[in-house]
Amino acid sequence: MSAANVETLLKEAESLLAEWTTQTNTPEPNRLDIWLEAADVVPAMAALVEARWGYLISITGLDFPKEDKMEAIYHLGSGAAVLGLRAALDRSAPTVASVCHLIPSATLLEREVVEMFGVTFTDTPDTSHLYLPDNWPDDVYPLRKDTKLD
Amino acid sequence: MVMEEDQKKFVIPIGPQHPALKEPAHFELTVDGETVTGATARLGYAHRGIEKAVESKNYTQALYMLERVCGICSHVHATAYAIGVEQLQDVTAPPRAQAIRVLVAEMERIHSHLLWLGVAAHEAGFDTLFMFTWRDRETIMDALEALTGNRVHYSANVIGGVKFDVTPEHVTSILRAVDFLEERTNHYMDIVNNDAVFLQRTRGIGVMPKEKAEILGVTGPTARASGVTRDLRIDAPYSGYDNYTTEMILDDRGDLEARFAVRVRELFEAYRIIREVLDNLPPGDLTARIKRRINEAETVSRIEAPRGELFYFVRSNGSDQPDRVKVRTPTICNMASVLSLAVGHQLADVPMILVGVDPCFSCNDRMIRVKRSGHDHELFTWDQLRRYGIEYYQRKVR
Repeated sequence: MSAANVETLLKEAESLLAEWTTQTNTPEPNRLDIWLEAADVVPAMAALVEARWGYLISITGLDFPKEDKMEAIYHLGSGAAVLGLRAALDRSAPTVASVCHLIPSATLLEREVVEMFGVTFTDTPDTSHLYLPDNWPDDVYPLRKDTKLD
Repeated sequence: MVMEEDQKKFVIPIGPQHPALKEPAHFELTVDGETVTGATARLGYAHRGIEKAVESKNYTQALYMLERVCGICSHVHATAYAIGVEQLQDVTAPPRAQAIRVLVAEMERIHSHLLWLGVAAHEAGFDTLFMFTWRDRETIMDALEALTGNRVHYSANVIGGVKFDVTPEHVTSILRAVDFLEERTNHYMDIVNNDAVFLQRTRGIGVMPKEKAEILGVTGPTARASGVTRDLRIDAPYSGYDNYTTEMILDDRGDLEARFAVRVRELFEAYRIIREVLDNLPPGDLTARIKRRINEAETVSRIEAPRGELFYFVRSNGSDQPDRVKVRTPTICNMASVLSLAVGHQLADVPMILVGVDPCFSCNDRMIRVKRSGHDHELFTWDQLRRYGIEYYQRKVR
């Protein structure tokens, strides 16, 4: 895929998401990060799905206890272009709406973030453990920075 | 195993290979009669908390842990991570190292596809084909061991390059292995395309339409078998793949037969790429200088693993330990597609549909809980469900 092609794809994504974008960054030539409010994740995703822009690759949780926030990054790929939709979440009650009604396969990605970070995905169809054992304590979220597992 | 009956002896051979490589997962299927109406999965039986663990290791220690996420495709994990960490500090592995990474990756693809072909044959009741493919697979395992020192977990990568060089002796033995395997693969191609009983289990079964595959985020041979043009070696070449000609292997049928055909054709493509790599090995260093501490940054690396797209997100924080490594394996999205696909199919088709996406978990037993409307749920072991499928189709033939 040519550099021109990647640039076109990323520009297309940028314009599709303009109304919800609070901040953008181009960390690498083939990547575009767009920050938006958690409440806008679903309409933004719907716009991308409607325009058939790429596919959802991953949902990554990040924890920043010092800044009292978490972040959910939705990475989407189209050819060589990678888009990161990033939403800051309130660390005391991290919540964002589920995208499973748009992309059914997202359920496995959301389940992982639920159990590892304690994020709530509103209306996600399945919140049962994906990787953690059945007898894992309810309030221990392994990937939070302040969770010590030794 | 030997049985004695009235002075006669029956010798029943088990092995030389045995599918001891069963893998743990729990699937819950809801059925109405024979038709699947709902499917969900519960994984985690081999979860080892590697993402958490690497946050308290240095970048090199993390490499050793991450390459052990998977035994079948350990090299692509190590490569994805190494490339990610190199990107964080604007370093590129030297050309010879990149070529060696590609060589090992294609050899790994061969062993992985042959392993899968055998497992898939076993699921369909074709144990002879399983024995043959796993015997032939030993050829590439031997070549990998001669080159890297290990049959599994090759540890070819260091951050900045590779650990060992390719000698002229290696070149000769790898080419000989590839020649042998190419001849054998002609035979497998014939079975996959023409064997009537095999086709009964694969043709027209588990069809995934192209649009569905696109939106569900399916990648790898599973996607290409539904006509989706996704192959990172071509779309977003890494490690010097753009120096070689890689053909996008596509099929538009989207059924199980197509998934078999695509993987067998990819074997031929792997043999071709290996020959091209060995014919054009650039001279030079095997490693580039790297830093121990990495400034705050984030990167993404994407690799075409045997099963599809392997995605790594790596974040550094100025220390000598990674801040976050997110690993998204191809199977997680391909698995989700299986769950979606199983609905509407016969229970007897589930083993083959699952195996068609070449799922990778890690080791042991699978349990399936089947809920029939109006009944309590039944527990099947994987083997029971597999035999259920075989017997169902044997009755159909009669």
